[in-house]
Amino acid sequence: MSGTPDATQLIQAVQLFLKEAESELSGRLAFHAKVAGNVLAIVAREMAGSPAAAERAALTALTGQDAATDVLRDELCARLRDGRADVQTPGLVDALLAAAVAQVAVDNPRYATFKRVTAG
Amino acid sequence: MALEISAAALEAVLARTTDAAVKVARIDALSGGASSATFAVTATKDGADWPLIMQCSAGGEPVAGAMAKATQARLQEVARGAGLPVAQTLAIFEPGDALGDGFVMTRIDGESLAPRYLRLPDYAAARDAMTAQCATALARLHALPISAFDGLPLAGGSAQALLAKSFDAYLGFGIAVPAFDLAYSWLKERLPDAAPKSLVHGDFRSGNFIVGHDGLRAVLDWELAHFGEPLEDLGWLCGNAWRFGNWQAPVGGFGQREALYEAYEAAGGARVDRDAVHMWEVWGTLRWGMSCVSLVSDHLSGRVKSVERAAIGRRISENALDLLYLFKHGSI
Repeated sequence: MSGTPDATQLIQAVQLFLKEAESELSGRLAFHAKVAGNVLAIVAREMAGSPAAAERAALTALTGQDAATDVLRDELCARLRDGRADVQTPGLVDALLAAAVAQVAVDNPRYATFKRVTAG
Repeated sequence: MALEISAAALEAVLARTTDAAVKVARIDALSGGASSATFAVTATKDGADWPLIMQCSAGGEPVAGAMAKATQARLQEVARGAGLPVAQTLAIFEPGDALGDGFVMTRIDGESLAPRYLRLPDYAAARDAMTAQCATALARLHALPISAFDGLPLAGGSAQALLAKSFDAYLGFGIAVPAFDLAYSWLKERLPDAAPKSLVHGDFRSGNFIVGHDGLRAVLDWELAHFGEPLEDLGWLCGNAWRFGNWQAPVGGFGQREALYEAYEAAGGARVDRDAVHMWEVWGTLRWGMSCVSLVSDHLSGRVKSVERAAIGRRISENALDLLYLFKHGSI
């Protein structure tokens, strides 16, 4: 133990503070304090496990190319726009679904559809 | 961005509506967005409580592309006249009032927070009644001929035109979301291109109702109304986001689709094409996803720096997930 709080511990400290602040605030500021706490929870989840790898795996499989994620995403969207890919493309919906599940696991794991997809 | 509305100026407007003595005691801001602001007005008429709601265009004038409040007020009266539960317009501001674009309506008592009326046991009877009430309201609105809105500058167009406008906006953001492109292409192959024959509310969802223990008391937020396809309202009402976690109750988090369609048909609405209305649920999911894109762009571009706008960008993924779930399973 170094005795220095790590980034996760600092996030938790600010979350604690925002909870205290929220109880003393009202209206818009109280709401924004609550949202800020949720944002920090997203940051903490993303630090624990980034969804980028899942998206990259999906895009690599679907485009058959190896490039930066942004480039692959643009390439797939170009194919969807000009009809070279659509919902009938084998594996497309499943691969994108897997990437979306990984992203929502970070963004909002309480979301009903996330729970439906990942249950059992 | 608070509008300065003087109680005296508002009293002068309200005095036009009655011979009674009018006093305005308080004006409290309820909510404000980029285009409009809503206030609770605490007034009295001959000493008796007179609770009112005032809506104004932010900055006094309608922003480009937004419906003028004066138009919204008249539109609400047309809907009310057709038997929909809508707050009564009492006064529309005139140029001489120096209050800008706005109007005053009655304040209807009830719960407007959907997560509350969808969960609290007190509202169980309301939830049971709401599917048929929503169906009846929409059937009555959609049955109105376009001529009922003569003189009102309302937007509208075919479903394909609506989709094309949204796709242009998507391209304008310069972003790439494969699930959105998938949905745009899927809808482009399927949505009709016929000229609209009905007025649709455009934002008919569980967050835009006032609910009492007897059910639906008022339909709010008419500023997105436009001439379009009636199924747009039915599909939007069934959006997953407006169920607030009650995904087993696709109609607003309180009802079942088949009950909605049957009640809509029984109330005089056109027969609901079950395949076509599904397209509008896909459209609704895409549309809410694009709203998230638009809202987070306020923050990312620096137009409106806010933690709330930043956070909503992380809801884009919920809509991508819902779209993909829809394509995989056919229904959500």
